[in-house]
Amino acid sequence: MYLVADIDVDICAQTSCKLCTQFCPEANTILYNDQAGKEKGYKYGAAYVAVDRCKGCAQCVWVCDNMAKHHAIKMIMIDQLPNAAITDNVVYGEKSTTAVLTSPVVG
Amino acid sequence: MSLDYVKFSPGFEKFMPKEYRDMVEHGPFGKKTTVSQMGSFKEILEEHPMCAGCAMTLFIRLAMISFPNPEDTITVGTAGCGRLSISQAAIPFVYGNYGDQNGVASGLSRGLRLRFGDKPKDVVVMAGDGGMADIGFSCTLHSWFRKEKFTTIMLDNEVYGNTGGQESGMTNKGAVLKMAPLGKKFEKMDMVSMAKSAGCAYVATVVPNNPRRVEAVIKKAVLIAREIGPTYIQAYTSCNIEYAIPTDKVMEDAKNVEGDRYQFSEYVTDEAKQFLAERYGYKEFLPKPAPAVTKA
Repeated sequence: MYLVADIDVDICAQTSCKLCTQFCPEANTILYNDQAGKEKGYKYGAAYVAVDRCKGCAQCVWVCDNMAKHHAIKMIMIDQLPNAAITDNVVYGEKSTTAVLTSPVVG
Repeated sequence: MSLDYVKFSPGFEKFMPKEYRDMVEHGPFGKKTTVSQMGSFKEILEEHPMCAGCAMTLFIRLAMISFPNPEDTITVGTAGCGRLSISQAAIPFVYGNYGDQNGVASGLSRGLRLRFGDKPKDVVVMAGDGGMADIGFSCTLHSWFRKEKFTTIMLDNEVYGNTGGQESGMTNKGAVLKMAPLGKKFEKMDMVSMAKSAGCAYVATVVPNNPRRVEAVIKKAVLIAREIGPTYIQAYTSCNIEYAIPTDKVMEDAKNVEGDRYQFSEYVTDEAKQFLAERYGYKEFLPKPAPAVTKA
């Protein structure tokens, strides 16, 4: 098993700074959903990770901890994630994306 | 070289893979995309085989988003790490022999001008420090002396990363590497001064720990190269393998290096300033109004 980034929606949706998206070296890996957290009253949505593209470098963790100072991202083993987004389930909209969360580990 | 090549061939739409479909329907072609919209549209760059946490990939990703007209852009590269991801993008990529990337780009740029006239077609060279400052040095400098109108971007990781860690002309003095165990005996080449002497209209040094700044620099360089002359960007893109930087500390290293030897600098000729202000409305380069005369 290997590590992937996991973003805490509750912490991320409070500020929605998008810094992790801008510092990830992989394209279309940390995506943005402006509907996330709306049911809890947060306005601007949150970022999420398409785990099949994440190489586990943890740059986003450093950026979130030291530049944004939000501590919303943790590296966890992929089989410990109950549900996660993968590229095949990402749907692009006009100004945002959504993803149906599924179990990332097959078989 | 137009929006025509970013659509489905008739009858083939349902057979296209998801990534292709997303690129046609939600890609940046024909729109103005910025760094702040990242994560909400399909990017030109796709999955690539470069190392986890590579700062060069981050810079290439930002550069691809910053191109003013991605549908009218061709990238040219050469051997080195960078081409592994530059080639995995939805814009044409020309792969030269080692070191001739600026020669290839010169011919390409002239040919496109003959074919398309005034319609801007951007040629962007992206190559490593070895391909540009060592092996391709003569092609690079001569293209600047000839005032060829295209953008040259050096991805400076200060080492030959792809072949096991030999010293390059851009390695710092004293640096000990896997294939340079005695340490480098000479100073780092001053390509920025050479670019200015050779007549580049725009020269900038940048570190990818400020995405908006990278975007601004690349936009200016590509726009100036359309009509004024050659432009040069030197970007520090660390090699976390050869310099043994833990992947989660890559941005910390970029910050330290920016403070140490890679401060942001920008050189714009007066002609280029005037061009950007008049043609593309850059307010920072508009002539300053004369101060109001106040009576004492």
